[in-house]
Amino acid sequence: MQTGTKISVAGHTLLAGWVVFGAWFPSEPLPAQVQEVSLISAAEFARLSQQVAAPELAEQPGPTPENAPEPEVAPPPPEPDFQPEPEPEPEPEPEPEPEPEPIVVPPEVVRPPERPTVLPQVTEPETQQKTERVAPVPVAPPDPEAVAGEIEQPAIAPDETGDAPAEAQEATAPEAASDRIVTEENEGEAQVASTEVTRSLRPRSRPARAPEPAPEAEPAPEPVETVEAPEPDTQPAESAAVEDALAEALAGGADVEAEVPSGPPLTLGEKDALRVAVSSCWNVGSLSSEALRTTVEVAVSLAQDGKPDIGSIRMIGSTGGSAAAAKQAYEAARRAIIRCGARGFQLPTEKYGQWRDIEMVFNPERMRIR
Amino acid sequence: MRQVLAGLMAGLMVLGTGSVVMAQSGPLRIEITDGVIEPLPIAVPNFVPDSPAATELAVNIARVVAEDLTGTGLFREIPSSAYISQVTNFDAPVQYADWKAINAQALVTGAVGVNGNRLTVRFLGHDIFAQGDLGEGLQFSGTTEGWRRMAHKVADAIYSRITGESGYFDSRVVYVSESGDKANRRKRLAVMDYDGANVQYLTDSASIVLAPRFSPTGDRVLYTSYETGFPQIHVLDIGQVQRRILSSDDGIMSFAPRFAPDGRTVVYSQSQGGNTDLFRMDISTGQRNRLTSAPSIETAPSFSPDGSQIVFESDRSGSQQLYVMSVNGGEARRISFGKEGRYGTPVWSPRGDLIAFTKQNKGRFHIGVMRTDGSEERLLTSSFLDEGPTWSPNGRVIMFARQSQGAAGRSTLYSVDITGRNLKPVRTPDGASDPAWSPLQ
Repeated sequence: MQTGTKISVAGHTLLAGWVVFGAWFPSEPLPAQVQEVSLISAAEFARLSQQVAAPELAEQPGPTPENAPEPEVAPPPPEPDFQPEPEPEPEPEPEPEPEPEPIVVPPEVVRPPERPTVLPQVTEPETQQKTERVAPVPVAPPDPEAVAGEIEQPAIAPDETGDAPAEAQEATAPEAASDRIVTEENEGEAQVASTEVTRSLRPRSRPARAPEPAPEAEPAPEPVETVEAPEPDTQPAESAAVEDALAEALAGGADVEAEVPSGPPLTLGEKDALRVAVSSCWNVGSLSSEALRTTVEVAVSLAQDGKPDIGSIRMIGSTGGSAAAAKQAYEAARRAIIRCGARGFQLPTEKYGQWRDIEMVFNPERMRIR
Repeated sequence: MRQVLAGLMAGLMVLGTGSVVMAQSGPLRIEITDGVIEPLPIAVPNFVPDSPAATELAVNIARVVAEDLTGTGLFREIPSSAYISQVTNFDAPVQYADWKAINAQALVTGAVGVNGNRLTVRFLGHDIFAQGDLGEGLQFSGTTEGWRRMAHKVADAIYSRITGESGYFDSRVVYVSESGDKANRRKRLAVMDYDGANVQYLTDSASIVLAPRFSPTGDRVLYTSYETGFPQIHVLDIGQVQRRILSSDDGIMSFAPRFAPDGRTVVYSQSQGGNTDLFRMDISTGQRNRLTSAPSIETAPSFSPDGSQIVFESDRSGSQQLYVMSVNGGEARRISFGKEGRYGTPVWSPRGDLIAFTKQNKGRFHIGVMRTDGSEERLLTSSFLDEGPTWSPNGRVIMFARQSQGAAGRSTLYSVDITGRNLKPVRTPDGASDPAWSPLQ
């Protein structure tokens, strides 16, 4: 028999012996908690319950024990296992205003760090409210002091000292809007609950370390409380980046003009941004029913700063309505381009050649059913 | 393996490049389907008077124009305090940049001249962003007493040029004026401007009057009167305030009349022996034609704008519903199929595309609209008691009567846009019910 076999046999023998004689038959009994109980009768239990339900002594100073009415119900006879509560001893003089007892501050309970929790929308369902404006995205009523504007910006008071470089500005906020026409009939109906995450708890700050002996008495700077925005979904950004990369890779075959930076084609995100920008100024509220059935195609040339060349705006086609209706629809489209393009559309300048000439199709079909 | 993958990627790149180049060969093209619905900012500065005598009228006319436009809910007036430049000369060029800076999208300028009792109003609309005129300038002339009507005409022209559809400001409404408490309510016919101004009473309150209806030309009114103890149809000439009984059969109740679009015939309900049917009558000859002969109640007829069809209410199916039939009678087709509720007082839109109605459901009354085939029903209002819709001449607005609850309940006229927006009361000196809108004057 080889040495290894011997060692194996010996080891297995020891293991089998430990299993049989050691693990299966513990030498010491398991610790058990024992609770002593005593039996009481139903009558005793009823008396105990009465005691519990009896009115407690008033905490506020009341009538003195001498003037207090005697309890009509005699106390139960003493039982061996039941000790009646001793009667409160009469106080010599009831103090009208007992001095407050010193408040004992409990030791601070050390709680586990709160985990940042992303909550689903738990706000009450918003109801339709009458607003003058109907927009693709509903907008809550802004601060009454805010001036209606395209974007939301806080008010900045003029700095009298002149130290701050910031210029004074009025608070602006988008005008309140509903995503549908609110009539007396459907007013108050709950809006469709959004699945968008609206708020989340801010992650708890890191617990402060024990104060170390500072070599200098310099006051520590106040921690700046910043509101951490919820982490945006990285998926669109990634897809946009992929699109950018793909567009750049594909740009080699496109015609490139010498003077105008052409760059790769616009990504879907960039096109969507332009579409949203024009949509926010496309007001169809004053259009006739026929004009609301008319789709117009409008051509426009943009300058390199994104501002439309007003003279270049022209209707290149229309469908669905008469010439008069098409003219009304075109005027509304034209106003949208000029109004929202007044500050220049936000488009990548390196791709100017791609968006210098644009054809916009204004299709009001979805606006008719609101 | 890597070489194979690289080759495949290169091939895909070449194919993709080709397709994208094809897509980008023309101008960038985007489709916009979502817009906004909001009032159009408009500036209506005081019109320029040509003499001190015209100063007050110049201010008043501009105010009425602004109220007409903003009252539609389609426009929002920019307050004069926001103006950068003032219009002091009607013929001076417009400072478009100043109006653009305050976000005005349209501007109305005008001039008023007074010569004795003659009033002249010139006006022009401006498209601020297009930096051009909204059509050509116009001029109206009339008497100074008719200044409100001229202001309405100016507003109609501006409205038409911006929206592309005709206006409704130079129109009137005939209605039943109600005074006194419910137990002793006095009713008389009244006519007013669409906005509640210039109220005139057409009858006294000696007898009950109901359901007045304008003729297509606006010069006559049909109504039902209990003057003889029975409801009978009368026709009233508004200009001369002369009236005559249209149906004078003893013991036969006739009511709910309405003019045909040609103004020569009238359709109405006639009740005899406990049965109510629809009849058509030639006004000049008095000849009648029975249109229905069902044992049920048929009433509230209304012509289609082309005069070829009639919509009416009937309980032939067991509950009050809407039906459409040929103007010559015959088989009617039911168009209201709401799961619940009763439908009544249908009125065909002047555009011909919609039918307004009153709906009663679960103790509430609604004014609603539906397509002429009954589809796309939309309820616009909801209250204790709404009834009797009537269309504005352009088919954009509906006026109706709303009765408040309780012993002291009062009937008031309201108007609402066909989208359900801009619900608002119409000012009348007393209670008002049964409105009927005239055509444009």
